Amino acid sequence: MIVSWNWLTEYVRLDMNVEELGERLTLSGLNLESISDVGGDLAIDVEVTSNRSDCLCHVGVAREIAALHGKRLAIPDPRLAEKGKPVAELTSVAVEAPELCSRFTARVVSGVKVGESPWWLRKRLETIGVRPVSNIVDVTNYVMFECGQPLHAYDLDLLEGRRLIVRRSRPGETIKAINNRVYEVGPDMLVIADAARPVGLAGVMGGAETEIRDTTRTVLIEAARFDPIAVRRASRALGLHSPSSFRFERPIDPEATMWASRRCAELILQTAGGTLHPGVIDRDATKPRSTVIRMRSNAVERVLGIPVDPVLARDILARLGLRQTAEDAESTSYEPPSWRPDLEREIDLVEEVGRVHGYDSVPQDRAIALVSTAVAPRERIEAQVRETLAALGFDEAVTYSLVEERLAAPLGAPDGPALRIEHQSRKRESYLRRAIAPSLLVARAHNEARGRGEAELFELAQVYLPRGDALPDQPPRVSLVSGRGFREMKGVVETLAARLHCAERVTARPAELELLERGRSAELWLGADLLGHVGEISSRSRAEFDLKGPCSTAELALEVLEAHARPVPLLRPPGLQPAVARDLSLVLERDRPWSELEQTVVEAAGAILEAVEYLDTFRGAGMSEAEESVHFGMIFRHLERTLTGEEVERAVEAVVAACHRRLGARLRA
Amino acid sequence: MNATDSLESALADLEALRASGRSALAQAQDSAALEAARVEHLGLKQGRLKTAQERLKSLEPAARRDYGRAFNEVKAELEQALEDARNRLAHATVQVEPVDVTLPGIRPRIGRLHPLTLTMTELKNIFGRLGFSVAQGPEVEDVWHNFEALNIPESHPARDPLDNFYLAAGAGIGQRAMLRSQTSTVQIRVMEKQPPPVRVIAIGRVYRPDTVDATHSFMFHQIEGLMVERGATMADLKSVLSLFAQAYLGTEVKIRFRPSFFPFTEPSVEVDMLWHGKARWVEMGGAGMVDPNVLRAVGYDPEEVSGFAFGLGVERLCMRRYGIDDIRLFYQNDVGFLRQF
Repeated sequence: MIVSWNWLTEYVRLDMNVEELGERLTLSGLNLESISDVGGDLAIDVEVTSNRSDCLCHVGVAREIAALHGKRLAIPDPRLAEKGKPVAELTSVAVEAPELCSRFTARVVSGVKVGESPWWLRKRLETIGVRPVSNIVDVTNYVMFECGQPLHAYDLDLLEGRRLIVRRSRPGETIKAINNRVYEVGPDMLVIADAARPVGLAGVMGGAETEIRDTTRTVLIEAARFDPIAVRRASRALGLHSPSSFRFERPIDPEATMWASRRCAELILQTAGGTLHPGVIDRDATKPRSTVIRMRSNAVERVLGIPVDPVLARDILARLGLRQTAEDAESTSYEPPSWRPDLEREIDLVEEVGRVHGYDSVPQDRAIALVSTAVAPRERIEAQVRETLAALGFDEAVTYSLVEERLAAPLGAPDGPALRIEHQSRKRESYLRRAIAPSLLVARAHNEARGRGEAELFELAQVYLPRGDALPDQPPRVSLVSGRGFREMKGVVETLAARLHCAERVTARPAELELLERGRSAELWLGADLLGHVGEISSRSRAEFDLKGPCSTAELALEVLEAHARPVPLLRPPGLQPAVARDLSLVLERDRPWSELEQTVVEAAGAILEAVEYLDTFRGAGMSEAEESVHFGMIFRHLERTLTGEEVERAVEAVVAACHRRLGARLRA
Repeated sequence: MNATDSLESALADLEALRASGRSALAQAQDSAALEAARVEHLGLKQGRLKTAQERLKSLEPAARRDYGRAFNEVKAELEQALEDARNRLAHATVQVEPVDVTLPGIRPRIGRLHPLTLTMTELKNIFGRLGFSVAQGPEVEDVWHNFEALNIPESHPARDPLDNFYLAAGAGIGQRAMLRSQTSTVQIRVMEKQPPPVRVIAIGRVYRPDTVDATHSFMFHQIEGLMVERGATMADLKSVLSLFAQAYLGTEVKIRFRPSFFPFTEPSVEVDMLWHGKARWVEMGGAGMVDPNVLRAVGYDPEEVSGFAFGLGVERLCMRRYGIDDIRLFYQNDVGFLRQF
């Protein structure tokens, strides 16, 4: 809201400098945005919060200044000289939708001469950034910026039937608005119509066909109040926003309507001449508001934490226009003024006292009681995951949760479509993703395109899995992309699980996934829980994502990691006795999963086997085409004593025998 | 007269053996020369030391003790000389190529955490020390938690579909759910679950349809604090935020409250901070006393308990911290950006 310094002086004496005034307003609720010099006047831009629509006008801001500085407020009383035919003989108004129009008033001025406004009027409008149009239109604008009540002026001679009807729109109706564009009036919108057609969108914009023009002789002045929600819906639906609709979308002081109508007539007579016809048409369905608010004497201290002198508190409320209605030992009752519909409860009055008294007096040295806090398991896991992946060379990324459709698919089998949001600003990127990896692939491609082909990224974020009528399941995931191969990425996951002290080992099963290369992708499990997926991006997918280099991904369920992680590892004896290492190369049929061989080794070697480690696979001399040789190492150790050579030999022989028996394996010659 | 040897000549020979052995061992240039020297002097079968040992027998019994002592000395000395020579040759055989010590080191790659994570972790740590636990809530929320319970009724302009990301109508939960526009939703979820006292922060992603530019993003992060207990006041709020400001920005920092409006707090304030070296107050976030309607909505009695809430924008804090001037950099994930933290 921009106010003019000179204009304000009409209502309140300003004997401070403008910076002082701005500071005071800022610290009591009207935040100063800027002060600028406009041809000798000062335009003061203050931010008005949505609860304070009473300050969307000069009188309102002046009233606030008067209350803050303890000054007198002078509001002019319009003086009207009426003559000629009574208004009721010249026009009529019917309100057919009183639930959307609580008051509609009309006055008529005839014999006006439309022309340029006087200098003072143009000057004031220009200071606050409003372009002068003509005396009649300027006056309606001036009065709106003076008291907050929007007005509209019609050329009465152009109104079909010389009357107005306030009603809901009819199917197929259109209106040419004063911006000269034709709008289809939406269903159930409130219109102002004459006998034939809509001539205004109530509260939003007037019609071009009945607006004031140079030839206008007879003016109908409308001052009305409409339902704020209806105005907001209409203005949003049509994309039409004006200073009028902005004010109509908020509460307007009910006392301002009739004042505005009188003030407007007065200023039209002053600036355009003519005759004001006696009387006013007033369709008033305003519900009387009677609010009495009881404020207990300890209320302010209970909220602010400091006592405020009750005399001072009472004075502040009186300056703000509240009328004291009753008082007893514990409380005082007040009736708020008509322009403050936001004051309804005790807490509202406490805030008024607090903000005018000033929050600078609220101390900041209170002792805050100690309480113990614990780090929740989820937080701890997230921190450990981040720290581990960073140590493994991955940079953390943050990508958008709203993505285009192709990035919203889960890694596994999709079950139905992704959730979508509905907003005109995000028509394409409107899907709630069910996997993070596709977004990370986009980020990797972005880096590749900028010559940073080595982007190794991870992200922790929620995914959104539809659940019918309920809120979606929103499990947290950790996802990675990398240029590493399958086994390296699987190794990252294994290291991560080990770092979190997961009790069980990560196991893998081959999987076929949309994004990943067949034969190079797997489901990962922790015990009986599906941990996630790992694999190399297929060449087809790489082309889709514009990725040139090799690329792999893994995506894991954080909840599964959390469930299997042990916050505190319990020490196992570290095994201080000497270890004995043995390697074996076994020839067996090709493509037998290592996991089978490993399991056989573990079971056959007995308790002294500490670890078994895959080394490599060899194909070629010394075996058939259908065979391969798997080379692996074993570490043997006894926790309490040195192993004898015989014990180790027996274990190795048992391993060889079991592998032969179960897998048909033989020692490589 | 040759029946017995003279002690003098035996000792003299021993001395010659010592000198010859020491010099041969010390001068051996490779393992073959050393082996030859060893065989000559210390060889078990025909070495000169062996011969010298046997000479003992030819001495008169009275001279044997002196000779034996001298022999043991020479033997120990030559054995040590052999050991030294072996060590010398063992290390001498490794040819060490000198490095250019000014070449750059070979650096292991370490990943970096996202600056937003760094900021959020710092905030969590500070509020954790002030007794605030971290609470979590869903990002896709129902309108009850995002609006209704926060004293934002159906008619409130903040609920306009143009200003929010509602889920598309149609299947499932549809327009009754939305991407949360504020982390205040978590306040409600916490209070619905637990009786007072409450001291929590919620931190995470929020969504508003702002046009994306250098300072706006449709997705950003918020941290929200809530404290509800018997007798909490604005003075407590100011004290907590002041402690926070000192921990985050330094002890020179000042804070002030400017009246403002939020539906879920009353009184509501904007929180400004002024810290060392800055000429202007900087707006850091919003705060206020929890509106009695919000307490009632979660089943608390506003006559019994009161509370305060505050919210800070993580991106704004992070941008100030690291001198980042474009919010879009956070979500581009260019490693040229990420690796600077």
